[in-house]
Amino acid sequence: MAPSRILRRAALAAVAALALSSCAIQLQSRPDPTVGDDTMLIGADTGAPFFEENFNPYLGTKRIGVNYLFEPLLLVDPISGQEHDWLAESTEVPDPSTIVFDLRDGVTWSDGEPFTEDDVAFTFDLLQQVPAFDGTGIWSYIDSYETGDGTVTVHLKEPDVPARVIIGGVVIVPEHQWADVENPDSFRNTDPIGTGPYTLGNFTPQQYSMDKNHDYWQADEVAAEHLILPAANSDLDVVTKGYDWAFKYMSNVEGTWLAASDTNSYFFPPGGTIALFPNHTREPFDDVRVRQALSLALDRRSIADLAAEGYMDPASMSGLLLPNQEEDLDPSLPDQGFVEQDRDRALELLAEAGWTLQGDRLVDESGQQLAFTITTANGYADWLRAVQEVERQFEAIGIDVSVDQPQPAGHTLAQRNGDFDLIVSSFGGTGTVYQDFNNNLSGEFFVPEGEETGNNFGRYRNDEVDAILREYRVTTDETRLRELAWELENVFYDDVPVIGMYYGGSWGLFSDRKFTGWPSEEDRYSPITYMPSALLVLTSLERVRQEGDD
Amino acid sequence: MLCALRKLGLFALTLWAAVTINFFLPRLMPGDPADAALARLAQNGPVTDATRAAIEAQLGLPTGNLWDQYVSYLQQVVTLDFGVSFTYYPQSVSELVADALPYTLILVGLVTVIAFIGGTLLGVLAAWKRGTWLDALPTIGGSFASAFPYFWTALLLLFFLGYVLRWFPSSGAYSVTSDPGLNWQFIGDAAYHAALPAVTILVTSLGGWILGMRNTMISTLGDDYVTFAEANGLRKRTVALRYAARNAILPNLTSFGLALGGVVGGSLLVEQVFGYPGVGYLLFNAVINQDYPLMQAMFLMITVSVLVANFLVDILYGVLDPRTRR
Repeated sequence: MAPSRILRRAALAAVAALALSSCAIQLQSRPDPTVGDDTMLIGADTGAPFFEENFNPYLGTKRIGVNYLFEPLLLVDPISGQEHDWLAESTEVPDPSTIVFDLRDGVTWSDGEPFTEDDVAFTFDLLQQVPAFDGTGIWSYIDSYETGDGTVTVHLKEPDVPARVIIGGVVIVPEHQWADVENPDSFRNTDPIGTGPYTLGNFTPQQYSMDKNHDYWQADEVAAEHLILPAANSDLDVVTKGYDWAFKYMSNVEGTWLAASDTNSYFFPPGGTIALFPNHTREPFDDVRVRQALSLALDRRSIADLAAEGYMDPASMSGLLLPNQEEDLDPSLPDQGFVEQDRDRALELLAEAGWTLQGDRLVDESGQQLAFTITTANGYADWLRAVQEVERQFEAIGIDVSVDQPQPAGHTLAQRNGDFDLIVSSFGGTGTVYQDFNNNLSGEFFVPEGEETGNNFGRYRNDEVDAILREYRVTTDETRLRELAWELENVFYDDVPVIGMYYGGSWGLFSDRKFTGWPSEEDRYSPITYMPSALLVLTSLERVRQEGDD
Repeated sequence: MLCALRKLGLFALTLWAAVTINFFLPRLMPGDPADAALARLAQNGPVTDATRAAIEAQLGLPTGNLWDQYVSYLQQVVTLDFGVSFTYYPQSVSELVADALPYTLILVGLVTVIAFIGGTLLGVLAAWKRGTWLDALPTIGGSFASAFPYFWTALLLLFFLGYVLRWFPSSGAYSVTSDPGLNWQFIGDAAYHAALPAVTILVTSLGGWILGMRNTMISTLGDDYVTFAEANGLRKRTVALRYAARNAILPNLTSFGLALGGVVGGSLLVEQVFGYPGVGYLLFNAVINQDYPLMQAMFLMITVSVLVANFLVDILYGVLDPRTRR
């Protein structure tokens, strides 16, 4: 056969291969029949590519399963913002500097030992001795604590009511096991003992199982007898292998996850606001008119649609996550704080600030064009799509925008050092209004450019905000707290410390094949698999009765 | 002897340069390991200064100025003790590499040897039967297959054979229920899991060997000594293999040396696509997490094996081709 004919055949084969790969092949969910009806397959913990055995809940490299093993004193759902009493039956704040946790009776560790205030005391001490474990910084709030009669009383360094959520959020470990650990900071806890609804079953580097703790203090609420967490959770795995619960952003979720099985559903509530943070120590971002103009120049709907394929909404300039935090929204804010694009008004504000349109360039008196750089992280595709749209919209009013995309570590460094004009990042999502605003706007975290900070990296300083936040810390009255939240929202709306773009999602994928009661539009709570709030999901589900079940 | 000594001296110098670059390159990346860890955490929810402090304490970030770090790094290189990984804390670097290396050595190593031998033989055949279908098929087929990007072939195979037809496992190095050990059941299971990645590497690398061998062989075949050997009535096989191929194989051998040295670097994309727990995957994680200890150990391993392989090929060249001995 002459080479030319072979070439032709090869070309034909290539065309056939292309045609085959471009035609849609609908993948169906085909669950492994050896996985029982009482067993839940969870896409939560992804190996790299295998699992290292590490069930120390305070290490960054912990297995996700620790969230189903260990429990905190109180739980805040990051979506609804609701506080749930957990290992503490109630949490009292007799005065703004004192927090009293009244521990639940009858809770036992999975080895049968009773859970007591000594375990809480041991945990607090552990976090003080090993600062590497204190990831939320509880010892920056605690002055001292005392225990007695099933309670733990914490005295704070200064009045700070909202700190109860942070201190109560620490997961508690058993003293009788951990007291003997010599080097807790490298302890892998391969035989974990917890108070949680599940205990560790079989561990292999490619998957591990967890079994229901039948002596759990609310065992009646726990539907799944076993959990299986595989190390490989690619999109294709999740769609085809019959997962019951996964936390994953999936492109075209209708055509993939929903189409794979008629029991599949998804719930993507906002989990944070993706925003442009102006550097308030640099010109012209220290001018509120410029910030307002930039905010007005944006068509947030088109940004949201491009960035998150239409799954997420534009962000409200109240600073809240809507509709999650609807209850805390000031009803007097126009249009729930959503800002529509208004180029004319934007140009007016810029003209007041000294920037006028000359041809298609926005220039100051000396003829210098308004120019700045937007910094985003390399590889975060949704952020980049948003930035490209923002660039287009800013350039439409005559601004010269350039985009800088360092690697994620470089982006974090720029953010911490204040080495940016405008930087893309996210804020909010702690579940409490106070924390969301305090982390981002509090003048207490202010440092000049060049010095590092992890909070308020926009270097915003506003005495009014600081006064509101200070009052927040000493207030226990619900009505007053709400008013304070409204005041913060109004400052956010008027002073534009941060330019919110769109909401980043919390990507919950669920299957009703075996279990129901998942988070949904009607029952809004967090679909997150990798935080203690997952306990809320695991204790809210019910078995779906199959035909033939009694 | 002098020649060998000179080569050894050059080898030592190159090694030192590589080791030093190994140290400085990762540190030129913006941000440090804590920033990388923080960036990863920030994807999952709000992080604060307290989180940063805790991460720094956990990682035990390098202290002292760059010179002190360099000196202690050189000590680590000499003692082969690279400390604890940042990404997989508290796993030690040696543990991690020792876990990943066997999978890569067997998968990539074996496939590289097979591809080299098979490709070279096919190349000889193609050159000898120049112009016939025995030439056209491997030559065109080989260049066609190697023109596809690695990962694309991998994704296609994975999608159709792994997910649609389900003939092969979609990830991992062995079944979940299988217990790693030296028994036939495990070896069979591991081979089954290695099949798709192996085919991917084979398909995409075979063409290079075929073409390389074929082209040099064709020019050798035109040389006078080959015509002379043919005219003397030697058997065709003897002429093809002992006369033409032996001389034509030299360039391919050089590439083979380099390829063998590179084996310990794993096959990053293939391992990524198939979730294969080899060195390539480990290296990828080390780089994105700015895991200096792990990166240093792995780059060192790769550099040293490439250098050693080169050195050996250099020596072997002298044996095969006396002209290079001067």
